[in-house]
Amino acid sequence: MKRWRVVLASLLIVVLSVSVLLSGCSSKTKQESTQPQTTTQEAKNKDFKVGLVTDVGGINDRSFNQMAYEGLQRAAKELGVTVNVIQSKQMTDYVPNLTNFAQQGYDLVISVGFMMHDATEEVSQKFPDTKFLIIDSEITDRPNVASAMFKEQEVGYLAGALAGLVEKEKVGKVKGTNIIGAVGGMQIPPVDRFIAGYQQGAKAVNPDIKILINYTNNFNDPASGKQMALTQISQGAEIVFQVAGGTGEGVVKAAQEKNLYAIGVDADQSYLAPDNVLTSAVKRVDVAVYDVIKDALNGNFKSGIMYFDLKNNGVGLGKINKDVPQSIIDQVNQLAKDIIDGKIQVSDKISK
Amino acid sequence: MKEIFLNPQLWAATLAMATPLALPALGGTFSERSGVVNIAMEGIMLIAAFFAVVFAHATGSAWLGFLGAIIVGLIVALIFAWAAVSLTANQIILGMAINIFASGITAYLLNTMYGFTGTPTDTPMLPTIEIPGIKSIPFLGQVLSGHSVVVYLMIIILFISDYFLFHTNLGLRLRAVGENPEAAETAGINVIKLRYLGVALSGILSAMGGAYLSIGVLNSFNPDMTSGRGYIALAAMIFGKWTPFGSFGAALLFGFATALSMQLQNTAFSKNIIMMLPYIVTILALVGVGGKSVAPAADGVPYTPKK
Repeated sequence: MKRWRVVLASLLIVVLSVSVLLSGCSSKTKQESTQPQTTTQEAKNKDFKVGLVTDVGGINDRSFNQMAYEGLQRAAKELGVTVNVIQSKQMTDYVPNLTNFAQQGYDLVISVGFMMHDATEEVSQKFPDTKFLIIDSEITDRPNVASAMFKEQEVGYLAGALAGLVEKEKVGKVKGTNIIGAVGGMQIPPVDRFIAGYQQGAKAVNPDIKILINYTNNFNDPASGKQMALTQISQGAEIVFQVAGGTGEGVVKAAQEKNLYAIGVDADQSYLAPDNVLTSAVKRVDVAVYDVIKDALNGNFKSGIMYFDLKNNGVGLGKINKDVPQSIIDQVNQLAKDIIDGKIQVSDKISK
Repeated sequence: MKEIFLNPQLWAATLAMATPLALPALGGTFSERSGVVNIAMEGIMLIAAFFAVVFAHATGSAWLGFLGAIIVGLIVALIFAWAAVSLTANQIILGMAINIFASGITAYLLNTMYGFTGTPTDTPMLPTIEIPGIKSIPFLGQVLSGHSVVVYLMIIILFISDYFLFHTNLGLRLRAVGENPEAAETAGINVIKLRYLGVALSGILSAMGGAYLSIGVLNSFNPDMTSGRGYIALAAMIFGKWTPFGSFGAALLFGFATALSMQLQNTAFSKNIIMMLPYIVTILALVGVGGKSVAPAADGVPYTPKK
């Protein structure tokens, strides 16, 4: 009996340490790129180490974190830099995860998400020689931190306009209740910028339209996302825009089950339900990540804020559902042009 | 206000959100009635949710996925039982260990097996059931019909659980073991075996709850998608006074609070206050608004047979 308890105790310790390790770096060995190292340039690139810390959504959220990871993968493949990922399990992991990379001498550490603002501020101060990139949050007073900001409201506007027109002209699966919805994860600025644009875009083309806005208060609970979307559908919504990361998968599923439309976010999510995804409000986090890695590698790292918008293809609509007629697509494209030309100003605040 | 309560979706969502709480709560009832506190249910749910997708996708059958999830859940529960019952380890620490392990191993396997794009989109889903007759009744049909098959399975299990626990010899023995294991052993009952049974049942039922989340509600797995439901299920079980119907009632109440918070968000109330509703209800339940609830006397106390 006693012997077994010792065995159990050791087993527990091993299992726990392994699982903590596993949940973190899941992709270290994979990216040690397979290219032959011949030139010194390649060797130098390989010495350049980039660490990416996801927020609690994790890299399989099919949206925000996944896009960041794709950018990182591309950098590993095309630039030959060494990359590594830590997935945060909870918000209290942010500081230790960022510190972990900085301590190991990583050249560039990437914080994925608004929710990591405070952690990034704290860690970047402690490690002034390490470069940091934070997505979706503004840190301007540090020479070693770059912030990538997206004009989500611009692509939200286009998605809203598309939804508004589809409602107005009763296209495809829509019966014309003139109600659409948006399901946000948490009420944080990047989520609200998408929804603010959505609201303005829909109202611009269809002034009488009603827009339901709800939050699930999480980014990784698709079951609640599905019920939230079903609730909006029961209140008459026929198109639901998900801005909720992993939770949003439930929103897409709800639209699929009720045979209505969902609008994807961050990544092009058309593949999740090709018949029922109207379009996706794509946010090219991958481009931001890749560009900053490239700049840092070539010694061109710039601190301060970079903006990604419609003009520089930092945001844009994804694949548009085949139910949508060309005339509507043309109108939306015109709106996109007007935004780029500055004829339409999209606010980043939700109006009541 | 009135139209919110007349909206069948409110009640349908209540049932849908209660199911992944009620199943582990029923499981926890068995486990704790036999004297073992199983807080590993959260982890078992998560592991089962993952393997439900794995098996469903590999075999092309959602039912085999469901079965596979139950088997995996049972195995984890038996490991827990071995350590907690046979080796008399601390049940809380053990449970936490399994939960941490579950979170890590599923995230790891997800990435190694399916890559970062996540589980395949062609994973089959458990069927939804339209109940003939009830389906065409207005309102009631929309509330009760058209749910995932797991919801109806849960209701059947609820009645069986109550019958088993309070109307069979085995159920009586299981409860005796949780109240006073010494006396039970003196009466010739195998305490260890029955505690294994209690934990095994909690593993099976938690696994069903996990599989419901991954292949009942949708057809994919997200890391940590159980979102603490295994813990809320424990609260439901305590609020339900360690009885199947009580646990179910509490799960319904929590489900209702969630569904109501979804409906109320578009009214004049503050969104932030509304979103606290499910948690307020949980806290009120636990501080004893529903009257005093007394745990089985030997709940959480390891037992060494006096041979």
